[in-house]
Amino acid sequence: MGFRSSISSAALLTLLSLTAFAQSNGFKPPEGPVPRMADGKPDLSGVWDHPFVGDMTKSGRDQIGAGELPFTEWGLAEWKNYNAEDGDSTGACLPHGIVRSINAPFPVQLVQNNKYVSFDFETDNWFQVVPIDGRPHRKQIPTWAGDSVGHWEGDTLVIDTVNFNGKTKVDSIGHPQSDQLHVTQRWTRKDLGHLALEITIDDPKAYTKPWKNTRIFTLRPDWEIMEFSCEENNKSLWEGRIKPPKN
Amino acid sequence: MKISMLVATACLAAIPALAHHSFAAEFDGKKSVKLEGTITKVEWTNPHIWMYLDVKEESGAVVKWQCEGGAPNSLTRAGWSKDSLKPGDQVSLDGWLAKDGSKTCNTRSVKLPDGRSVFAGSSNSEYK
Repeated sequence: MGFRSSISSAALLTLLSLTAFAQSNGFKPPEGPVPRMADGKPDLSGVWDHPFVGDMTKSGRDQIGAGELPFTEWGLAEWKNYNAEDGDSTGACLPHGIVRSINAPFPVQLVQNNKYVSFDFETDNWFQVVPIDGRPHRKQIPTWAGDSVGHWEGDTLVIDTVNFNGKTKVDSIGHPQSDQLHVTQRWTRKDLGHLALEITIDDPKAYTKPWKNTRIFTLRPDWEIMEFSCEENNKSLWEGRIKPPKN
Repeated sequence: MKISMLVATACLAAIPALAHHSFAAEFDGKKSVKLEGTITKVEWTNPHIWMYLDVKEESGAVVKWQCEGGAPNSLTRAGWSKDSLKPGDQVSLDGWLAKDGSKTCNTRSVKLPDGRSVFAGSSNSEYK
């Protein structure tokens, strides 16, 4: 797509300094070199804490936002007309999609072997198993989370996701996505305690050019992924204060 | 028990976004609320805990309120449990009102009479 994506050294230094500031609350992530699999590839496994990114345009703790977005005419109309009061898919406990699952304010566990990386999101206990053995995208019906395949570029795991149903938004504030969304995730373990993610949104129906958001994940060896049933007590929906989506 | 309720319309600097959906889908960040009352029930459930309290208005009438807190997962990691707040506890609570006009709020902090903050910053710690 002609949009070379990589986390710049300056951006990474900024993120790491933000991380250091945020970790002044007492938790200190483990220190050490990048752990590696038997085949020499970085091992991304672990329970990872990460920033909540409700608005992917804005920068915040441990993440750098995209700034002003290059909307297409359709994308701008979607953005201007979006009103969460008219219906909210995640409020109805429908799937977040892959981007909002990563954006959510709950940890994720990565489990890896030489064929797959599994993302076990705590949020709503969604998961995605990503083949990383070089196979092409599957051909199947469009889904909320899309179809992901991964490959290694040096020490960076690149995950390419297409085949979305376009029914959710890329973030909580409501920036649009369509069924033409193409997401690229670039995961780089910087050291034992930190994992960098650069996520690129390429959606020619909604945006005139790709844009990206970068963030740092922090290893939490003291945490485990917990049960999270969105349907258990979603009384805001049951009592009518949240409306289900129209589509 | 001294009871007061204050509804302000001033914008607040830190409006939390909800964990599993947009804050604006349900609550009005321009309408803050402060309640003092007695906890009658706590639902320690996903996707959010819910606190129920009786609030005595200046007229003497008791009004039942329900206020949403953070997710139990995040609160557990912050050191709280389902027993941290119990029926009968006298609390001072502040947050934001639901848009539909019901006696429903999103909670920013809960304080006990002894000064302890229970679930303090639950939204902030959750929406970090």
